[in-house]
Amino acid sequence: MHWYQWIALITAAICLAGFSYHFARLIRLGKPKDYAHPSGKPASGIAYSFTAGMNPVNKESAFLHLPTYAAGIIFHLASFAALVLFFVLLAGLTPGPGTSMVLAVVAFAGAMAGIAMLIKRMTDKKLKILSSPEDYLSNALVTLFQLMTGLVLLSESVYPAYLLVSAALFLYMPFGKLKHAIYFFAARYHLGLFYGRRNVWPPKA
Amino acid sequence: MMEKPTKEQIQAGLAVLKDLQDSKLLTHLNSCVHCGLCAESCLYYLTTGDENLIPAQKVDMVSSIYRRYCTLTGKVAPGLVNARKLDEATITEMVDKLYGACTMCGRCVKHCSIGVDIEYVIRAGREMLARMGYVPESLQATVDAALETGNNMAIADEDFLDTIEWMEEEMQDELEDPEAQIPINKKGVNVLYTLNPREPMFFPLSISAMAKIFHMAKESWTLSTNMYDVTNYAYFSGDPEHGKTIARRMLDEVHKVGANKLVLAECGHGARASRWEAPNYLQEKFPETVTSVEQIAQYLKDGRIKTDPALTAERVTLHDPCNLVRGGGVMKEQRYIMKHVASDFVEMTPHGMDNFCCGGGGGQLAMSEYNERRIKIAEIKAEQIRKTGAGIVVTPCHNCVDQLSQINHTYRLNVQIKTIAEVVADALLPEVGENPQPQP
Repeated sequence: MHWYQWIALITAAICLAGFSYHFARLIRLGKPKDYAHPSGKPASGIAYSFTAGMNPVNKESAFLHLPTYAAGIIFHLASFAALVLFFVLLAGLTPGPGTSMVLAVVAFAGAMAGIAMLIKRMTDKKLKILSSPEDYLSNALVTLFQLMTGLVLLSESVYPAYLLVSAALFLYMPFGKLKHAIYFFAARYHLGLFYGRRNVWPPKA
Repeated sequence: MMEKPTKEQIQAGLAVLKDLQDSKLLTHLNSCVHCGLCAESCLYYLTTGDENLIPAQKVDMVSSIYRRYCTLTGKVAPGLVNARKLDEATITEMVDKLYGACTMCGRCVKHCSIGVDIEYVIRAGREMLARMGYVPESLQATVDAALETGNNMAIADEDFLDTIEWMEEEMQDELEDPEAQIPINKKGVNVLYTLNPREPMFFPLSISAMAKIFHMAKESWTLSTNMYDVTNYAYFSGDPEHGKTIARRMLDEVHKVGANKLVLAECGHGARASRWEAPNYLQEKFPETVTSVEQIAQYLKDGRIKTDPALTAERVTLHDPCNLVRGGGVMKEQRYIMKHVASDFVEMTPHGMDNFCCGGGGGQLAMSEYNERRIKIAEIKAEQIRKTGAGIVVTPCHNCVDQLSQINHTYRLNVQIKTIAEVVADALLPEVGENPQPQP
């Protein structure tokens, strides 16, 4: 293995360890004890939280902001695909030319969505006030990772640079806002549990 | 700028975040991605256009402190992640945003792109401020009144009993039944009923309305002079110890009276505080606890009371209290009741889970320093009401009644504001008969 492959592998391990720490901490703390008699079904609330509760029709954050919502979905789907692809490429496997082209398009679409959201963050007054430097950094890191993923699928020559960008991302992920990759699922769980116990979710006809 | 906090105060505030043992709070402190898409779900932002008042900003007030003291990145590079020190400037901003610019309506929670329980984080922020002694004086005075006198309006027992006696006479005259009673401190009853102290103080007719319903339903019930206050403003001030004291009084009284069931008066936060939060303050199970809305709906379903919707000729609309609907899951029951008491009922847009707060929640009505803001944010509710064309606005919450009455005046809506018990009492038919028939 080349040195840049080692770096990528080590940082991926650090990232995994960091995420494991966050996950283990949540598991250790467990489900909050609630002494009030439930009036609904917690399991149904949790199921709703991960399904229809995320339907854009039911969320103002989605249906009032469709372009941003669409960009966010593309960005996150492409990020997930790029993360899976990272391990495929690190293992020395190479997708076929057709698959590579499709994946490159997905990665570039993700990068474009990331750039669009970065521009919005830099220009929208609400977001400018709300944002910290790491909001820009996180977005830029993930966008660059997607861009490099697209490029590496088209040209092997960028492989070392691709792995170094990946390493920077992995090193940062467990320490900043990107850890929402874990906490997002915990948040949906807790919200579903809360609304489910109180018979708020699933909504009644 | 307020008085500079001492080291002890700062430590007391930070204790809420340090050594966190609550996976829910830990989750929500780490989940906001600063997308800002919650802005349009918040009536403060919608009515003022102030970018500093969007829900994510309020979450960040608390999570930025968490980052500063409880995360590696926040300790090493606070500037990078906007990790804030808990000092007087931060506290001043926290008080303004968390007490003065949030009704804790929870509307943003449902619409958050991630699912951050924003209201829960704000409660944690208020708890920090309460532990440091920065609860706004007016709100703290309301809590103190409850702690010292047993009710948040400091009504003397003698005045309370006079009002109850007066209402009992009114009811007897109306029903032409000298046996009709408002029982006080009766033991071994089925129901211990509570009140919002605004009722004996300002709206006594809502007491006689509910008494009339209990009477017609042939319910075995009582009020208690020891503890009738359904509210628990410590839920809003954020002090769990005060919340616990008030909750303890309520639970003890249910046991003392020997009631099977606790029925909570029409009060959104009171219902939430007693039904959902009190067992957790005390870490004890409560006996069966229901809101009066659920109780009345059950009487109608069981045929224990009968109503005639034709008796309410005017168009009626319904305002959903946030704590009852989003915070308590009571949504169908009030609509079932409306079907039985109003011939011309129209919903607001939006309503139910998506309903906008009246603007008086979160303790806003108790905090006179934010009056101007409170009336300003009610623009949305005023417009919602106006669009229905209704002459009567019904709401199962005395806090909402107060706020709606003020916006009725300010925004010249020319509507009547009533509680559920009042409209039901108006539509009650005198006799149910020996074998009550369930209502469809």
